[in-house]
Amino acid sequence: MQTRKGLVHAVTRDYQLWIMILPAIIVILIFNYIPMYGIQLAFRDYDFSKGLTGGEWRGLAYFQQFIDSYLFTDLMRNTFLISLASIVLGFPAPIILALILNQIRRKKMKQLMQTTVYLPHFISVIVLVGMLNVLLSAETGVVGHLMKAVGLGHINLLASTGTFIPVYVLSDIWQHCGWNSIIYLAALSTVDPQLYDAARIDGASRWQTIRFVDIPALVPTIIILFILSMGNILSTGFEKIFLMQNSLNLPVSEVIATYVYKIGIVSSQFSLASAIGLFNTVINFIFLFAMNTISKRVSETSLF
Amino acid sequence: MRKKVSVLTSLVLITAMLLSGCGSGGDSKSAGTTPGNASGEKVKLTAIMTKHPLTKPLAEMEWLQAVEDAAGVEIEWQEITTDYGQKKGTMLASGDIPDLFIGPNVITDADFAQFQGLFQDLSGLLDQAPNVQRMFNEKPETKLIATQPDGKIYGLPKYQRFWPASASRQFINQKWLDELGLQKPTTWDELYDVLVAFKEKDANGNGDPKDEIPMDWPGGIGGYFNPAVLLGSMGITLSEGSSQGYFVEDGQIKNFLIDERYKTMVAFLNKLYKAGLINPEVFTHDYTKYQSIARGEGDTAKVGFTWGWVASDRFGEQLAPQYASMPPLKVSADYTGDLSWSYDHYSLNYGTNHVVMSAKTKHKEAAMRFINELYDPKVGMQVLFGSIGPNIEDHGDGTYSVLPPANPEMDPGTWKWTSTMADHGAFYIPDDLQLTLGKDMQEVLGQSEPLEEALKVDLDKDVFPGLFIKYSTMDNNTMSLNNTNIMNLAESTFAKWVTKGGIEAEWDAYVKEAQKAGITQNLEIMQKYYEEYKSKK
Amino acid sequence: MDSTRMSSKGAGNGSHGISSGASSGTPHIHRAGPRLNGTGPGLPGALPPSSKARGRARLNGKELAFKITLGLLCTFIFLIIIYPLYFIVIASFSDSTLVATGKVWLVPKNISFFGYQEIFKDMRIWTGYRNTVFYTLFGTLVNMLFTLPAAYVLSRREFRARKVIMFIFVVTMFFNGGLIPTYLLMKDLHLTNTIWVFIIPFCVNIFYLIIARTFFESSLPQELHEAAVMDGCSHFTFFFKVALPLSKAMISVIGLYYLVGHWNDFFTALIYIRNNNLQPLQIILRDILLSNQVFAGGAGTGGDAGGYAQRYADQIKYGVIIVSTLPILMIYPFIQKYFEKGVMIGSIKG
Repeated sequence: MQTRKGLVHAVTRDYQLWIMILPAIIVILIFNYIPMYGIQLAFRDYDFSKGLTGGEWRGLAYFQQFIDSYLFTDLMRNTFLISLASIVLGFPAPIILALILNQIRRKKMKQLMQTTVYLPHFISVIVLVGMLNVLLSAETGVVGHLMKAVGLGHINLLASTGTFIPVYVLSDIWQHCGWNSIIYLAALSTVDPQLYDAARIDGASRWQTIRFVDIPALVPTIIILFILSMGNILSTGFEKIFLMQNSLNLPVSEVIATYVYKIGIVSSQFSLASAIGLFNTVINFIFLFAMNTISKRVSETSLF
Repeated sequence: MRKKVSVLTSLVLITAMLLSGCGSGGDSKSAGTTPGNASGEKVKLTAIMTKHPLTKPLAEMEWLQAVEDAAGVEIEWQEITTDYGQKKGTMLASGDIPDLFIGPNVITDADFAQFQGLFQDLSGLLDQAPNVQRMFNEKPETKLIATQPDGKIYGLPKYQRFWPASASRQFINQKWLDELGLQKPTTWDELYDVLVAFKEKDANGNGDPKDEIPMDWPGGIGGYFNPAVLLGSMGITLSEGSSQGYFVEDGQIKNFLIDERYKTMVAFLNKLYKAGLINPEVFTHDYTKYQSIARGEGDTAKVGFTWGWVASDRFGEQLAPQYASMPPLKVSADYTGDLSWSYDHYSLNYGTNHVVMSAKTKHKEAAMRFINELYDPKVGMQVLFGSIGPNIEDHGDGTYSVLPPANPEMDPGTWKWTSTMADHGAFYIPDDLQLTLGKDMQEVLGQSEPLEEALKVDLDKDVFPGLFIKYSTMDNNTMSLNNTNIMNLAESTFAKWVTKGGIEAEWDAYVKEAQKAGITQNLEIMQKYYEEYKSKK
Repeated sequence: MDSTRMSSKGAGNGSHGISSGASSGTPHIHRAGPRLNGTGPGLPGALPPSSKARGRARLNGKELAFKITLGLLCTFIFLIIIYPLYFIVIASFSDSTLVATGKVWLVPKNISFFGYQEIFKDMRIWTGYRNTVFYTLFGTLVNMLFTLPAAYVLSRREFRARKVIMFIFVVTMFFNGGLIPTYLLMKDLHLTNTIWVFIIPFCVNIFYLIIARTFFESSLPQELHEAAVMDGCSHFTFFFKVALPLSKAMISVIGLYYLVGHWNDFFTALIYIRNNNLQPLQIILRDILLSNQVFAGGAGTGGDAGGYAQRYADQIKYGVIIVSTLPILMIYPFIQKYFEKGVMIGSIKG
């Protein structure tokens, strides 16, 4: 009797769950899965008169063309280094910021800080890069003047292979750190205050409270976001790097995205573009998958 | 599959349209002078115009309304100023295009080759467009520009006649020279001495000997306003700025990026840079800053020697009188060879594919009538400079003159771009049209005079006729791929050699790299097409 | 409701959480309820831990060091973020030439509001504002309707298909058919050139879905659901009556992310919209912004088109940021409060 009731219950239960998830599934299937036939383009010639999937089958020829291309190793290295630096420095930054903000006790101060740190997110890339040019200029910029004052001499931050990645990554952190910290702040807001009380009773200092209450509270979010960020290992943005490029930093600033743009893919070479895109995707996906598997073993948290 | 079907249906449709179109065309002729169909209703068309960002809405252009009325059409315009490349890709690939496109190279030859069947071959419709035919007759090269290798004509060119033979003029601050008691330099060594004097002797006399920038350019190598014109000091004629290094010498396609003379020039620029004579931010500043600096502060100029379109644009109205334009320099006092410059006549006066028609257009006749109106000489001048009335004065005796801006704060160039389609439009200005140009164009032509001697180049042997050459899709792709690689190498080595030196030691390895990047392959391809072009001529 | 009095169970769990964290470092955290340090206003009975800590701080050197470090750190972060923002504001009405040459850095110079005039002169701005507000509000609503239930379902461990569905979803973060097939699909569905293309097609963002799922997973203890089921509570009721109210912080974050995503989106309109009356604000501002960037190209080749407008190019550049951002900035304070006021789970349990 009881089991049957449980069974019926399970069915109705699942039935409700299906109803709740069905809209999302339908939307994803239609708008994400139907167009996927276009992936074929990476393996075919693009022939307008025969339609998107009617061109001659070329197998891996376009992948080969990309891998054989003159700049391939440079592109892979630059792309990888920029992403890696972005992850290593950019991933922890919002976590630290959230922990700091969370320590502010005065409500007004806290609100002021939170609102301030999230503002830069809204600056468009064009303006951001324009601002970097003005502020970092060795001759006329505020930062240039500051560096001279401190005795760092005359370094043109925008024009050397050594400073491109730091400038890129740090300005990214400046812009998005506050925004990205919102999710961690939200996670911190769910911590039971009883925990803080308990910590206090145990005689924990604030450092210890951060370490043993706040950080553990963030761990699931951190893990999930870290797995996802590993899935971006070969995706640098395009616009910012493109706008920051100049002849002097070109050896480190030419990445896959800018290269694809330059070979004129916008207008014509659809097959090669698809192949490069797919190549990127597959590598990204492998990283994500690996990270997910590791995480599943180590922390029992995983995406799927 | 679905694609195939839709292409097929559209072909059927087109044929049907063509047939019915012929019929209605006959009607309209019989109806006499009024264009449009018999009922007098206007034919509705859709069009894309890639206009200059400054340009006001097309609906506010008086001449355009008149043209649409005269052609009996009503056009729904989509006006695009940004991100056209991105839009175009999806639009063409999906086949979802408007009846007409207007803009500079709005659809490229490569697009025609790739998107077969999407665009209308106009060669059969030309008898409906006497104005276009007139252009083809009077300027046969325009027909050459328009004709694809298979003889079809998909896009019509423009011809604007008045523009100078080069985009870049060479400026020096004459006031500084006078203050310091110096002559205009004529050789590289003299230039060096003058620039040193500019730097060390507080040339602008504001008491700060450090704020002069003796020499400046927008950055990089190749293109307009670039030190690459110094190659003219050793006899190289650049073609349309040679932004990727290609030029022609004695019928041979070459690339200056692997030419010994380029090495000499880079070494010279390095000497200037080491002496602090070149703006240290030359490779990093953006265009706004590059322009801003040359505008100085009030009456105090900052830049000594540079290149630009015209002095008033480069230095602002206030400082422009301080500057004089200069002829090309000689590489050394004992150089006896020819001096040359960048020959940009074709790219400045002609334009490829300024108007293109969709093959799916239901009203080919009407669209053609509209195109024909655009190419009317009297309309053409209004497309370029603005409507008769606010922008052009009609003297009533067949002569016209371009009026100064109605807004006195605005310079003539900005006024022109604001008022009309300007250079982005499709039009023909015959050589016998009597039009007096505005102050800005007169200034350009005046400042071009010192270059005239150097620009008397052998068009048959020393200029690359890039505008007239149509590559196959495959060659086009190969070349653009190679050029991306080459320019990546060239840009970074050029910047490095100018700022840090080292070209002597690294040159041979660099040339090998450039060959590996595809420079030889590109030279071969271009030579092949160049010879084919010459043999046909 | 907002009682900080804890049940004995909660306290036990709390200390357990700490000790387990300390000893093993495993992320075994018990999240009993959303609450920030410091209590809501008007609760005299609850003594906030912070005030107690403050009291002790005077005696505690370590605490003092912490406070000083925190203060310095915050000041540093504040200055480093606020200065460039301040710079944008003053640059938006200073002479562009002076801005570009580094003459403007603390006070505006040669003040003129030409940039703003240019921006607001463009009548399309108002249509843009109207469209964007509509797309943003309506779009976000649809986003939430599709995302939250799905996230909840995927957070239920007893839902068998969750791993498979999750995988199917995650794949779409990486693989897509490309722009052309997507465009053709939109065209076939007659979505191009309609407002629906902003609302329907990508209304489930997998990234946010995952965040929401993680939140549900970690903030809704299994016991809670079991208890609810015991009471005959269905999934629908549990979702609406328990899960959503307990996740206000997350809902406001996801909502904000979606909201800002719609607000800043220009790509959808760029590709799918041709009708000028449907263009969102960002397209129009991007037009104005890029227009000033391309003076570079326009100036040289086709005749000088710089002189006059050049002087104000930067004003427009910086002014656009202010015009496009101010409205969305005003939303934040409203959302912010949800990070502070979670709902005590204890009260529901009780």
